[in-house]
Amino acid sequence: MQTFNLETDLAGLKLKNPVITASGTYGFGEVYAPFYEPSILGGITVKGITPLPRLGNPVPRLAETPSGLLNSVGLENPGLEAFLKNYLPQLASLDTAVIVNISGFSLEDYALMASSFQRGCGIAALEVNISCPNIKHGGMAFGTDPKSAEEVIAAVRKETDLPLIAKLSPNVTDITAMAKAVESGGADIISLINTLLGMQIDLNTQKPVLANTMGGLSGPAVRPVAVRMVYQVYQAVKLPVIGMGGILTWQDAIEFMLAGASAVSIGTANFGNPLAPVEILEGIQAYCNQRGYQSVGEIVGLAHAQKG
Amino acid sequence: MNLKEKVVINEGIGHPAQGLYKLVLSGEAAKTARPGQFLHIQVTDTSDPLLRRPLSIAGIDPERGEVTIYYRIKGKGTELLSRIPAGQVLSVLGPLGTGFSIPEKGELLLIAGGIGMFPLFSVIQSAEKYPVKIKVLWGGENKDFLDSADLNLLLQKGLEVELSTLDGSFGEKDLVTALLEKHLALGSTQELLHGGLLQAAACGPNGMLKAVAGICLNSNVPLEVSLEERMACGVGACLGCVCTVRAENGGLKRKRVCKEGPVMNGQEVVWDADI
Repeated sequence: MQTFNLETDLAGLKLKNPVITASGTYGFGEVYAPFYEPSILGGITVKGITPLPRLGNPVPRLAETPSGLLNSVGLENPGLEAFLKNYLPQLASLDTAVIVNISGFSLEDYALMASSFQRGCGIAALEVNISCPNIKHGGMAFGTDPKSAEEVIAAVRKETDLPLIAKLSPNVTDITAMAKAVESGGADIISLINTLLGMQIDLNTQKPVLANTMGGLSGPAVRPVAVRMVYQVYQAVKLPVIGMGGILTWQDAIEFMLAGASAVSIGTANFGNPLAPVEILEGIQAYCNQRGYQSVGEIVGLAHAQKG
Repeated sequence: MNLKEKVVINEGIGHPAQGLYKLVLSGEAAKTARPGQFLHIQVTDTSDPLLRRPLSIAGIDPERGEVTIYYRIKGKGTELLSRIPAGQVLSVLGPLGTGFSIPEKGELLLIAGGIGMFPLFSVIQSAEKYPVKIKVLWGGENKDFLDSADLNLLLQKGLEVELSTLDGSFGEKDLVTALLEKHLALGSTQELLHGGLLQAAACGPNGMLKAVAGICLNSNVPLEVSLEERMACGVGACLGCVCTVRAENGGLKRKRVCKEGPVMNGQEVVWDADI
């Protein structure tokens, strides 16, 4: 194979390759270490953290759907203080870009979280979760109204000099309005999509399967929606995009990149196949080599260029 | 941990209406498996269903390199699994999770509800190596179920087995918890208990485990339970399969059934936590 440049620069967030793991599917970087060295990847995104510890939602938290998975974990996490003390040192030692996903219930929460992370603290970027569908009075509320989304991102922007990723919810009428709002707020990068709000009902009990009634749908079932939204956001804003939503194979990843994603995030696929991110990385490389590209960035957004 | 296991046997057992199957896998899993652990098995190359099936280990034969699993067809995943022929190689994660502790003396009391007996088969297999008296209390729906679920295996081993069924078609017409209360009331059991020579292990529906834990707490019987919960990754990443336990500070916290379980101290679990 010819030498080929996998390096990806997302508005200052430098990745050795464009494959990242998605928040909430990779623990704090320790879970999949027995399967492969996390430093193979371009980056890892850790489980979303909140100012205070959270027990999350009651069980059942999971329901399988055709080619999909509903979850309502509800941001179970050890809280900011325990994260900084117990998890950050180990994460900082990893030779990969560590992205910390932060959530809150108010502007002050988000600002507090952001102020705890600066350049040099051992992480590469902050991902601002304004799209969690599984907690009441928070998360997604910020991610479905452009004005609130802009305010949250602006509040976070003031508190940290790290590259800021705004993670968008697909549960909106116009994703481009949300993308423009977070661009105005000062985001450096946009990641999408978070899960689609869904539910499942048990025919025996005649009640919702999830204890939280509704949950977020992920997996291949949501992929066409995600590809469409990446395509739209790529056209609407100048910010680089991290694409995610049901990527199981390298072919899926390439599709997102052609739609306009500079990097891809692997989430639910980890649950079925722990080696998915590694196999996807190898596949992207082989595809680009075979087609004679010199750098992986050359395929980003090609679906648009070919249109005209 | 990321294994390829070859299907040796995959066939229905007992009455077809019970939907019970026996699966024997040959490979590396048998070398390290402990009673109470589970395997996370990929049942299709397609994305539907997306997830693996977590199935507990019922028998371990390190010499032959084989593990045995019993399962019941419950949904699409187990239905697809039941159609996989012998000779096929499966992607398997495991053995995963914690195992039961096996006493080397005294009495081991096994309390099972329905197919909760299956992981306890592996406990029996391990405990047989020691001079331990094994007593089985098993509640099932009816005689048809108990016959189908390899009750004969226990009887052939000459174990002391007490049975109950919901419809009274076999054993006592009662819940398995009634058998437990009766057994604990025996003078001989009390003697063992006072000598620190009684230990219990249970597996079954959550409601049954809660009742068993209550009875064991009242009688000071050390108890391990094997929990079941909907699972995605099986290795501790998704936080889907949590249970609630008492924290050191008296508050509540979560544990992952796949990682800190499925076998846990029965008195640590907070049943019906509703948070």
